[in-house]
Amino acid sequence: MLEVRAFSAGYKGNDVVREVSFHVELGEAVMIIGSNGAGKTTLFRAMCGLLESSAGEVIFEGEAVAGMPAQRLVRRGIGFVPAERHLFPRMTVQEHLTLGAYPKRPDPETISIVFDLFPRLAERRRQHAATMSGGEQQMLAMGRALMSKPSLLVLDEPTTGLAPKLAHEAYEALGVLRRQGLTLLVAEQQVPLAMAFCDRGYVLENGVIELEGTSEELASDPRVRQAYLGVT
Amino acid sequence: MTATILDGIVLGLQFGILAVGLTLVYGLGGVLNLAFGQMAVVAALVVSLAMGAGIPTIASIGLGLLAGGVFGLLLDTTLLRPVYRRRGEARVLLSLLLTLGVAFVVDGLLLWRFPTEGLSLHIGGDAVEILGVRMRTGSLLASGIALAAFVALFLFFRGTTLGKAVRSIIQDEEGARLVGIDPNRMRTLILILSGALAGLVAVTRSMTSPVTVTQGVSFTIFALIVTVVGGLGSVAGAFLAGIILGIVNTVSSFYIGTFLTYIILLGAAALTILLRPSGLLGVPE
Repeated sequence: MLEVRAFSAGYKGNDVVREVSFHVELGEAVMIIGSNGAGKTTLFRAMCGLLESSAGEVIFEGEAVAGMPAQRLVRRGIGFVPAERHLFPRMTVQEHLTLGAYPKRPDPETISIVFDLFPRLAERRRQHAATMSGGEQQMLAMGRALMSKPSLLVLDEPTTGLAPKLAHEAYEALGVLRRQGLTLLVAEQQVPLAMAFCDRGYVLENGVIELEGTSEELASDPRVRQAYLGVT
Repeated sequence: MTATILDGIVLGLQFGILAVGLTLVYGLGGVLNLAFGQMAVVAALVVSLAMGAGIPTIASIGLGLLAGGVFGLLLDTTLLRPVYRRRGEARVLLSLLLTLGVAFVVDGLLLWRFPTEGLSLHIGGDAVEILGVRMRTGSLLASGIALAAFVALFLFFRGTTLGKAVRSIIQDEEGARLVGIDPNRMRTLILILSGALAGLVAVTRSMTSPVTVTQGVSFTIFALIVTVVGGLGSVAGAFLAGIILGIVNTVSSFYIGTFLTYIILLGAAALTILLRPSGLLGVPE
């Protein structure tokens, strides 16, 4: 479904990620793990058209989409939930969901899927995003992305700034979406959570892919165990 | 005193619409358009020429607004393209320099080709008494049009998806792109709207006093002052600040003198920057 080949990107000629290759198949949940500053955010932002890439290819559903701006990628079915969320501070939950479906009218069925998934959003329909808690903002960012009915949902550190209980809830919601047939690509620092959830993963360190494998393979790799799972 | 204040409100409503045209473009694109007043003057000129050619008044006004919109469209698709490629301060500075250049060029052309041209629309009918003051129909019509424009703008931004899309870019451009909104297309739309609003103010102003081809700069300055006081990117702020400054303008012209009015208005803007940098209804960054 998604294939990224020898992809490089960064700021002002300094590539933060270099020749990264990975793929995501239909229905899979794939994680990119790595420590802070490894380049996960740069990789996702460039792949999702918020940042220019300097080399490489991105093939989504058979079409070369590298360099395509975010506003066009979302219409092709890539939904992106960035780590900084990028909500509209002075707009209500309802307005976010309406805009999420832009330029179409919001589909009532999709709205009820979002509200079933996050009942808190239904309660806070008329509340402005700026007045919501971190957990609620994360739900809103995910809900807004779902309104465009993406076939691939890309999430950059969906648990940033969330208490452990809320982080678990975020992954429970992702589990529901997966059972509904959504393909997922997640960047995560909280490796145990992501590992329990995803089928496969890649380890990104200093801008290059160091390791790849199924979650079980990665969990038993001594380097991963030491660096990310706190096992010595 | 009542008469002066009512006159101030009439003037303030025009100021407010003028400021909306300027502030939206700034909020959306980080572009400060110093050729904004020239958009108004060009629209007034087109109305005047069209009426001179025997076209009915309403149709001429329509052509004037269209001219303002086309001015905005041309600016957006030519000079502002390289501006949008820059970010932050560089963008604001480049937009200031380029649009100031446009203002000079347009002023020069107008003074060369149409030195004596101007627009004054005479609205017939008897004066109407309001709060014991006899108001000219021109003033009332101008105010009515400005109020209707405010209501229309408010409904557009609050009630329509397109309006919400414009607001979303002002609030978080990346967020807007992530839901599929193309900021460049919205900027084009807003520059056209901005030009049409400038044209509308030129038309309503000409119902109470003549608009001449040399007034571009003063339109821009009024719009800038109201924008600073009302808060960047805020339609409601522009409305409120417009009315306040309109009253300040007429009261100080009447009791102190026209020569000091500019200084008093600029003083109000300076005071706002000192006390409340984000303006009356602006959002602190």
